[in-house]
This record gives sequence, structure tokens and C-alpha cells, in this order.
Amino acid sequence: MKPGVTHRTYSRRWILGAGAAALTAPGLTACGGGGAGGSDGGELTTYVYGDDAVKVQRSAVKRFNKSADAKVKLEEVPGSDYVAKLRTAMGSPSGPDIFFNWGGGSIRPFQEAGRLTDLTDAVRADPKLKNGFLPSVMKAGELEGRNYGIPMRGMQPVILFYNKSVFDKHSLTPPETWDDLQQIIDTVRGKGITPFALGGVDVWTELMWLEYLVDRIGGEKVFARIQNDEGARWEDPAVLKAAEQVKDLIDGGAFGKNFSSVGYDSGGAPALFAQGKAAMHLMGSWEYPTQLGKHPEFAEKDLGWAVFPTVTGGTGDPRNVVGNPTNYWSVHANVGNKDAAIAFLTEMASDRYAKALIANGDVPATAGAEKLLDSSPSPEFSKFQYKLVQDAPSFTLSWDQALPSDLSAPMLTEINKLFVGQSSPRQFVSAMQGLK
Amino acid sequence: MTTGTTGPTGPTSTAPAAADVDKSPRPPGSRGRPDRTPRAPRGRGGGGRTRRPLLGRRVNPFAGAGSLIWLVVVLVPVYTMLSASLMKQDQALTGNPLAPPSNPTLDNYNTVLNSGFPRLIGNTALVAVAVVALVLAFSVPIAYVAVRTRDRWSGLAFRVFLLGVAIPAQAVVVPLYLIIGELGLYDTLLAVILPTAAFAMPVAVIVLTGTMRDISEELYEAMALDGASPMRMMLQLTVPLSRAGISTVAIFAALQAWNGFIFPLILTQSEGPRVLTLGLFTFMGQFGINIPALLAAVVLSGVPIFAVYLVARRALINGLMGAGGK
Amino acid sequence: MGRPHPAWVLPGVLFFAAFALAPMVLAVYLSFCDWDGLSAPRFTGLDNWTTLLGDPQMHRAAGLTALLVLASWAFQTPAALLLGVWAAGRQRNRAVLSAVFFIPLLLSSTAIALLFHSVLDPNFGAVKQFGEWFGLGDQNVLGNSTSAFLAVVFVGGWQFIPFHTLIYQGGARQIPEVLYQAAEVDGAGRVRQFFSITLPQLRDTVTTSTVLMVVGTLTYFETVLILTKGGPGTDTTILPYLMYHTGFQKFDLGYASAIATFLVLTATGLALLLVRFTGFGAMRSTREGM
Repeated sequence: MKPGVTHRTYSRRWILGAGAAALTAPGLTACGGGGAGGSDGGELTTYVYGDDAVKVQRSAVKRFNKSADAKVKLEEVPGSDYVAKLRTAMGSPSGPDIFFNWGGGSIRPFQEAGRLTDLTDAVRADPKLKNGFLPSVMKAGELEGRNYGIPMRGMQPVILFYNKSVFDKHSLTPPETWDDLQQIIDTVRGKGITPFALGGVDVWTELMWLEYLVDRIGGEKVFARIQNDEGARWEDPAVLKAAEQVKDLIDGGAFGKNFSSVGYDSGGAPALFAQGKAAMHLMGSWEYPTQLGKHPEFAEKDLGWAVFPTVTGGTGDPRNVVGNPTNYWSVHANVGNKDAAIAFLTEMASDRYAKALIANGDVPATAGAEKLLDSSPSPEFSKFQYKLVQDAPSFTLSWDQALPSDLSAPMLTEINKLFVGQSSPRQFVSAMQGLK
Repeated sequence: MTTGTTGPTGPTSTAPAAADVDKSPRPPGSRGRPDRTPRAPRGRGGGGRTRRPLLGRRVNPFAGAGSLIWLVVVLVPVYTMLSASLMKQDQALTGNPLAPPSNPTLDNYNTVLNSGFPRLIGNTALVAVAVVALVLAFSVPIAYVAVRTRDRWSGLAFRVFLLGVAIPAQAVVVPLYLIIGELGLYDTLLAVILPTAAFAMPVAVIVLTGTMRDISEELYEAMALDGASPMRMMLQLTVPLSRAGISTVAIFAALQAWNGFIFPLILTQSEGPRVLTLGLFTFMGQFGINIPALLAAVVLSGVPIFAVYLVARRALINGLMGAGGK
Repeated sequence: MGRPHPAWVLPGVLFFAAFALAPMVLAVYLSFCDWDGLSAPRFTGLDNWTTLLGDPQMHRAAGLTALLVLASWAFQTPAALLLGVWAAGRQRNRAVLSAVFFIPLLLSSTAIALLFHSVLDPNFGAVKQFGEWFGLGDQNVLGNSTSAFLAVVFVGGWQFIPFHTLIYQGGARQIPEVLYQAAEVDGAGRVRQFFSITLPQLRDTVTTSTVLMVVGTLTYFETVLILTKGGPGTDTTILPYLMYHTGFQKFDLGYASAIATFLVLTATGLALLLVRFTGFGAMRSTREGM
């Protein structure tokens, strides 16, 4: 956001003053045998979001390191801290060489601060990168028409998952409309089952509800306007309506009583869902690989999926999806060995990598993915996901990634306050409008 | 103990204070022994302060009952921790968390030890050693000068350190993030070591000054007659005679390093320089609701201090008295 | 006569200045800047401070911090006082129990917070069982405003009461025995002895322990981060956590520095006030490690 990047080093040094600078004296820096984790030389420090899907990257790195001269060193950062950790590291002079991100707004501050390598030329020069990925997904990793990200994981639309055995036992079918949903909620609640698992400790799980509801009620334009700082922004009636519907769900017990101390990253919500203590789970498509990793039996037999239901009176296209188009690797501007980094990124376009993603239950954003989907542990799920994304007129990026962190962090706090009942839908709207 | 009761006597009160408190919990070896007769004052620290064990005869029912309640409060979490750490994960997820492990297993400890735990311990030990070394190397001369050379400058230096104790470590983490980055130390163990040592210095200086003040002037004079230099006096007289204070400071500094959280959290990122506290925090993200493994990690994290407790109980308690404010 | 040159203090003083004092000065400077951590800090004068004065979240965090300090004091002091006085006695089993009471001191704040985070997990922790035994509704301890706050107070107490018990134990041992003998001659009962002898005699110990407690509570951070992440909503967002959240989640590092500076001023002011108010030696108050 602020320019003046070139002066950074100079002004920081200036602020430091003589005291600290004097201590840069060799004696101190040299005595640290413990200083590990440097990113110089042939090693490419790579930050990745450390969830169950990380094993695909882990094996890709292993393969790459066997054949290449340069070595990639994978740092698996636990999910709940990823954004903050990445940003903290990027703010230091020794950030990662390559890092996982969500494209779009999530990397804009780094680009503005001059911390990103422009990959456009590399992409144009290499047909594997140029033609290897779905154009729309590739585009979501761009900023002002320049390329800063290479897709490296599956597409991640948010999907309504349900527990088939719970549904079968109570003769339920996946909801198509909001009224259907209400009925299912009432039915399962009556049986002492929590309708929806919700890991409210991780506020982004709550965010998904608002993302879908706002889209269904007012269409994708509502958030687009918020993002571009146009029009009524948060005071669009669709936001208030969505917040009210969320409140109705909470008051109606749709998430049970203790969702605010259940986590997603900790595995709490997936466990409740897999154990049949909760009937449904609104979650990104990574729920499938997550369950496959943590509760394989459930993932293979009882995990069902459906499109988010329509909302009566809503003007949004019911085919719209929200979530993350995919994740990207971006490269730090100070990368030691740029060629090696790009060689590693090119791996992501390979069929071998795509197959590994598919085997993990993901649907890669590579151009040739569709024909490989039959090798998925659940071809049915993979094809459903692929079609869902392909048919969607709009794919809204998760709000917390689309907005810069000085807005997204307080936004998540406000959403949490709405969910735990500390603010009313109206207070929520005005608090959001107040964030600038 | 004198810490609180001797009043405004300044730093001198700290050393005897520390030496005194540690009479409380007895070494584990003597635990089960019924204690009908007053024990003779143990070695040092008892300082010939024989007292009739009158307090003992006045059984205090309120405090006695309170102590039993507290016993339960302390033991229940400790019990859950130990028992869950021996459980298989499915029992922990579905069963009664308070029931003893039906099929005790050490697998969780294995998991933790194979998740980079030895490196965490190694890093932490390295940090602790380096912090102790830095703190002593910098604080001993300061205290020595403060005691021996009473001029304006040493007085000023001393007051600077008094000022220093009012700065909570976390208040400076934002500027440290900037400074450490600029020094090129970001994401290294030094990034943790340097500020941790600096923040342990005020207490160290105050404790050491207190101890050194008790060394009698005649001893210095005797050495001066032999033509000893100030350096020799410090190394051969002051340091040996301040052993109690030095061990207090060493333990205090080591505990700061051992327990520090916010510096490692902000100033390191990768696995290489990760220390124990941050490792535990990372395990929380990694193990999630694998509560048995998480609690096994918690148990293991306490083992090194427990070992210190067994061999150097007195020094540990003294150090804690210094560290407790944290 | 062989006195060290004052310059001997220089290495130590410079080191301390570089990594403790300079950062503090820099924090004050940064509190007048806008800084996102990526580009250079930009001087914005009093902006952060005017924001701080009018920021409802800041007010709330300050209020919660004050409440936390008070609640922690009210929980820890009586408990530590009673336990310490009791442990100073010579009942049998005292040694065994004292050793048990010592256990929390073997664990770091991080470890203790993790332990309780597991115990308090509503679906998989021991609290589930307690909830069933005692008929406590939803066991949503960390997800309800009041109980989450109380959990922070409790966990802090669990961690620090043993330490303060040690302090009181030492203090109680110093009380001259003759006072009790005289009281017994006068026929004073135990309760009266406690209030007319033990408590007044421990006055200075109470001050020491209180100063340590107050300043210690002001820096609770790991506990909140691990147990509640400042939630539900912002109901356990105390100042240290707010600072962390503003600085390293929201990356408004200038404003975070303002909060940090405010925290230092409060901590120092409070410590001085307590010391002055109780007529307690200035040196003593400074022994806390913070």
C-alpha cells in the first residue's frame, strides 16, 4: 500500500540508531552456531500450509530434490497460523523463497512492497506453464495482468457435505432449497444430532456461511463491490439479510451449543462430523482429503456432498460457488536461485503431480485434469467438483483472502462476534461498514 | 524468608531471601517419611535459625481443608495429562477422558519423539546455555562495579537496570522484529537468545549486586595487599563468594529461556531454530485433537525441569523466585 | 586500591541498551508511525494515539485487563496465603503435599495452556465428563464469554499460585513464634490469631506478592492465545493479546506499538503506585522478572 519501497532499508537503518548497529559487530553474529534455517545458497526455503494435503507437496519436493541440483526445503506451517506467519516472515529480510498463497488479494501487499518475482516472462517462455493450467484459474493468480502465482493444489469450492448414514437413517435427502435445509435441521435436532459441524474456533469456517448466503441472496456483485470499495459496500441489504439468516440458524441450534470452542484445524469439527454427532458440514472441498486422512472409513463410505441450497427470493445465480479457485506458489523477489525455483514450479504442471493430487482426492487446476479424474479415490466426488466449478458463472475468492489483512483480521473478529451473539446482524453490518 | 518481610533494605535482601525459601518442599527422597519430630535445620540456608516447631502443633483446619481442595485441583489435570498421554487415540476421542487408559501405550511418546522433539530440546538447551552465559558475562562485571566502584556512572548504570525491569518483554516485540530483521538475525536462534538475555539482565544485576554486597571489605583489602588486579579480585574472590547469587541468576536466566514464548513466536519461523515452547504450540496445530500425543508432548516438555528439580531443587526454587513475575 | 574501572559496565550496558532500551525507544517512535511491516514506517504524528483514545476495542481490552488483574488477585492471593501459611507449618504429609503443589512450576505457561486447552475441549476433554457428572449443560467453557474469562483466570491461578505459595510460606516462617505464644496465653483462637498476628505480619509479603501478580497478569499472553485466541468474539482480548492481534494478525504495527507503549506505561505506573501506596522499598518491587 505505501510506496517508497526502495527507501526501506535505508530508513530502517536510520531508525535503528547507533546503539543496535554497533552490536552488529562480528563477535555477536558469528557466535551463533544455532542460526539455522537460512535461505541462502542452493536451498529454496518453501512455506506451505500444513494440513493433510501437504503430503502431495512433500513427495513432489522429494522427487525434485533427487533430480535437481538445488534443494527445496519445505516448511510446513500449521494452518491456523499460516497467514500471520507468512506475513511476518515476508516482512523480515529473510522471507521464504517460495510460498503457498491464495492469489489475488492475499499477495497484493507483497507485490506492492516489491517482494514478489514477476513470473510472466517465465510463464510465456515455457509452454508447460503457459498451457498447463486452466486459464481462469491461472488468471486468478495474476495482478494487473502480470503473473505472480502458479497453481499448486486442487480447486477448493465450498461444498455442503453430509453424513450419508445419518441421512439414510432418518430418510433425508440433501437440501435443494433453504426450506429443505430448515426441515433437515429440525429433523436431526429432534434426534439429538447437531445439524452442522462448525469449527468456530477458526473463524473462517463461520465466514463460509456468510459468503454463500450473501452470494445466493444478492449475487456475486455484492462482495465484488465491497472489495472494490464501491456502492453501499457492507450496507448492501443482502449482507444484512445474510447476517439475519445466520442468526436464525444459530438461534435455531443449527450448529449446536458449543461450536465456539470446537476447532477445524484441530480436527474437532471433522471428528464430530465423521462420528455422526453432526449431520452436515459446510466446508471447502479439502474436507474430503482431510477426512480421507483422519477418518478414512467415513470418507470412503459415508461422506456425501451437495451444492449449497438456493435461498428463496435471492437474486444470485444458484450455480455460483465460493471458496478458493486454488492455491498458488509465489516466488520471493530476493530468491537466491530463480531458475531452480521456476524449475520447481514447472513440476506443478506435470501429469505426475496432477495424479498425486487426484490420488489425494483433489481436483487439480491443470488443463488435462479432467481425463485423469478416474484415478481419484472417489471419481464421483472429483467429477462433481470439477463440474461444479466448470459450470459456475462466478467463483468468489474467500473474503479473508480477497481483502487485505488490515481489513480481513477485524472482519473475522466481527464475524465471530456475530456468531457468538455478541453483536446483532445490524451491529455487524455497521461494524463492518466502519472498518476502513 | 526475608524477601517480603525485611522491608526496604534494597537488593541485599534478595540473596538470603532466596536461600531461605527453598526450605519448603523437601527432597522427594524424604517424601513419605512421617515428620513428627522437628528436623534439624538442613545445612546452609538454615543459618542456625533454630525455631521451635510451634506452628506445627497449631493445626489449622481451614488451611488444612484448603490444601486438600488445592491438592485435587492440582492433581486432576495432572492425572488427566498422564493418563491421556498413555491412551490410544480412539479411546481418548470416544471414551471417558477421566477413565484410566484401557490399553496403556507409549506410542504417543514415540510420536512426539519422532516429530522433531529432540531438536526442540536441543535448541532450547542451546538457547538456555547461551542466555545464561551472556547474562553472567555481562551482569557480573556490572554488579561488581556497582559494589566496588561507587561513582556517578556505576550508580547511573544501576538505575538504568532498575528502569529496565519495568519493560515487559512483549511490549518490545514489534521493534525487535524490525531490529532483528535488520541485523540479519531473523529466524535464527540468536534472534531469541539476544533479547531474552537482555531482558534477564535487570534481575540478574540486582540479585548479583545484593550477593556481592555481603562480601566483606577486608577480603578485598587482603588481596589488594598482594597486589591483585581488579580482574583477579573479581575472578578469585567475588565470583567464588557469590556462588549462591550466580546460581540463582543462572537458573533464573535459564528458566526465562526455557519458558519464553513471544520472542520465538515472532522472531523465528522455520523448523531449524524452533524452541520447545513454540514447538508445543506447533504441535497443537499439528496434532489437533490427537490429545494423547499433545499431552505426551506436554509431559515431555516438563521432564528437563523435573530433572533439574531432582538434582538442584534449591537452585531451581531460587531461580523461580526470580522468574515468577513473568 | 584495586577498584574496577567504571567502564567495565560498558559491554553489559550497551548490550542491554541494544536489545531492551533501544527497542523500547523504537516502540515509542513507531507508535507515531503507520507501518504495515512490508514498507517503511511512515511518521503520522499523533494519529495512532488519537485512535487509541477513541477506540472502543481498546477501551474494552483495557477494561478486561483490569478485570483480569483484579480477578486474578482475588483468586490467587487468598489461596496462596492460606496454602503458604499452612505449608510453613510442620504437619505430617506437608512435605509430600508441598511437592505435589510444586508440579505446575515444572511446566511452562505454554505447556499449561495446552494442557487446559485439551482438558477443556467440550467434546473430547475431561470437562465433558465433569459436565456430565455435575449436570453442567453444554461444557462450552471456552466458548462462552464469562466462562472463557474465568478459565483464563483459573489457568493463571493454577500456574502461579504455587509460586506465590512459596513466597507466603517463606514469609510465614519469619513470624516470631513468641507472638503466637503470647496470643495463646491471652486465649486467642486460631482464627483470631490468623487475623491479628499472621495477616498483619505478612503485610510486606502481601505487597511483594501483589506487585508480582499484577505485573505478571498484565503480560498474560500465551494463556490467552492458546486457550481462547481472545474470543469468543473479543471477550478475552486483553491488552497483550490485542497488541499481538493488531501487530501480527492485522499488521498494523504502528498502532500495535501504541498499545505496547500504553501497556508499559500502565505496568510501570501500577507497579510504582502499589509500591508508593504501600510504602514499600523501591528496590524490592523490581525483582519480578516480568
